[in-house]
Amino acid sequence: MFTWGIPTYTPAYPGYGASPALVSYVAVSIMLFMACLSLVRIGVATFLKKPIPVAESSFPEDMEQAAAFTQLGRVNLSSLARIMIPCVLFVVVIEYISYVFAAFLFLMILQYAIGNRKWIQSVVVSVALTTVLYIVMRYGFGVPIPGPQIF
Amino acid sequence: MDMIIAGLLDSLSPASLMFVFLGVAVGVLIGAIPGINGPMAIALFIPVTYYMSPLTAIGFLVGLNKGAFFGGAVSAVLLRTPGTPEAAATSWDGYPLTLKGKGEKALRMALYSSVAGDFMSTLVLILIAAPLAAVALFMGPAEIFALISLALTVIAGIGTVSILRGLMAASFGILVGLVGTEPVTALPRLTFDIYQLGGGLSLIPVAIGLLAFSEILIQLEKFTGKGGGEHIANVFSSKLKDRMLSFKEFFVHKKSLLRGSLIGIGVGAMPGLGAPVASFMSYDQAMKRSKNSEEFGHGSLEGIGASESANSAVVASSMIPLFVLGIPGNLAVAMLMGAFMIHGMQPGPLMFQENAQLMYGIYGSLIIASLFLLLIGRFGLRLFCKAVEIPPMILYPIVMFTCIMGAYLGQSSMFDVTVMLAFGFIGYFMRKFDYSYVAFLIGFILAPEWERALQQVVIISEHDTFMFFQRPVAMVLMALTFFVIARTFWISINAGHKKRLEASDAGQHKSD
Repeated sequence: MFTWGIPTYTPAYPGYGASPALVSYVAVSIMLFMACLSLVRIGVATFLKKPIPVAESSFPEDMEQAAAFTQLGRVNLSSLARIMIPCVLFVVVIEYISYVFAAFLFLMILQYAIGNRKWIQSVVVSVALTTVLYIVMRYGFGVPIPGPQIF
Repeated sequence: MDMIIAGLLDSLSPASLMFVFLGVAVGVLIGAIPGINGPMAIALFIPVTYYMSPLTAIGFLVGLNKGAFFGGAVSAVLLRTPGTPEAAATSWDGYPLTLKGKGEKALRMALYSSVAGDFMSTLVLILIAAPLAAVALFMGPAEIFALISLALTVIAGIGTVSILRGLMAASFGILVGLVGTEPVTALPRLTFDIYQLGGGLSLIPVAIGLLAFSEILIQLEKFTGKGGGEHIANVFSSKLKDRMLSFKEFFVHKKSLLRGSLIGIGVGAMPGLGAPVASFMSYDQAMKRSKNSEEFGHGSLEGIGASESANSAVVASSMIPLFVLGIPGNLAVAMLMGAFMIHGMQPGPLMFQENAQLMYGIYGSLIIASLFLLLIGRFGLRLFCKAVEIPPMILYPIVMFTCIMGAYLGQSSMFDVTVMLAFGFIGYFMRKFDYSYVAFLIGFILAPEWERALQQVVIISEHDTFMFFQRPVAMVLMALTFFVIARTFWISINAGHKKRLEASDAGQHKSD
């Protein structure tokens, strides 16, 4: 961000006021400074063979206390992929197969992905939700339905 | 006076009454579902309010927030699974009562205490916000810049065990908030040549992604696919005295209720503390001062009253910093601030001059929402208890699809859906690695205002770096900002040192 992102995608200083890049640089500097500080603390703790300070540890020793206010834990990539992939596919295919089919398929796949094997329940939920949101968007709010129109 | 009457009459219009009622009902229902809280509900429903008048929209969202605060107590009492973090203290006494078949009585105590705390807090907001806002009008850009800096520093500590990570998250939020058109040159900034970013990132997809979508991603990890909804059918006693709450049973705890409400009002008015702090603080005080302190944790109605009156009192009082200074004190108010901005208003002291009628209308809606909460809670309690029985298998797909379509609804743009998914993904990792998404979101919302204040300071002072020293209030606020940072660093260093000492002590005892 320092060497490429901010200089390339920020307008030039117009000659008055603060530079358009100032706040961006301040924000990135704070992030960088805090990250360096954390690294130094971890480095010192590692060098002195002492426990890593709680504030710098991703998983504090007192997990129970930390978990009361935060959701620390290990990343479960397979679970994440199981949900994110249908969502991304929905955004891509809706432009081609229309909202109705895309939404129905998305909801079916999503329910299967989270472990619902009751097919009748899945179909009922998918049809009901697709229909309700279609009616709300089209007739309630009057917004254009995404993708090609088939109804 | 005419403005006050006109505003109050606006809040009594059929549309306004209907949407406040709907907001409270939906809020209680949503709050009762574990894993879904008030700010998340506001984020999901803001797109719906695009099509409402400003008063109806804010009334609906305020009702939603008030309802969700009480709704959190439903699952806390019935399942010992607080629907919202602030209801955790309620579960300590509510659940033991449920096990004794007195779940309905516990919920009634929670309801009446919530309404009492909320009503008192609303009155305080009405009485002090306008006079304080008049004083706040004397603040210039330097003071506003210093105040936002202080707010960001204080808020960086919310929802994280590390202020370093909190400050990083707030800075990241500021950086993301700067994407779009630069205010002085009116040229695109940090858009990476993506033309849809020219107008900046909209709050709705970012908030839905961070608050709702990432939460569901986390919830789904814990969900094995085998569990159904929780069954609570046997917790309601058939005996009337175990179900109903008499006036005497309620008013005997008036001191705890009053103390809880005052704690809630005080905590809510201070940015960065939030309802869980108020709830725990009030519970602790009630336990220390109660004649029956041994009952706490085993089904004390006083404990429920103390916790609920405090956390509900936060709802209205947390709007004091928003109305007076234009600074959100917690996440729910940050979302409300976003709703104000979407409807073309900039929250802050000027609102009492520019939109006086609307402000009094909002006051009216706040009072009406309290009354509706009492009515809806009183007559719909059993129905809302059914909400905790909704199977996650059905609930999660509904919430996820609502997130997607909610993000689309704002600007009818699939790009916003992509942004929502991206921030859901980012939010998932922020939650996992303890980077406060609350600090991020508040940084994102306050970034434009912070930059505008800085630009004004630089232009007015003609690049004089010492301008802050000529403005005593700004200087004090900046000094406080640095003090908060230094103090937090000191505490975190000491905590690490203490932990090491304890660890070495424990090691020594073991070897002995």
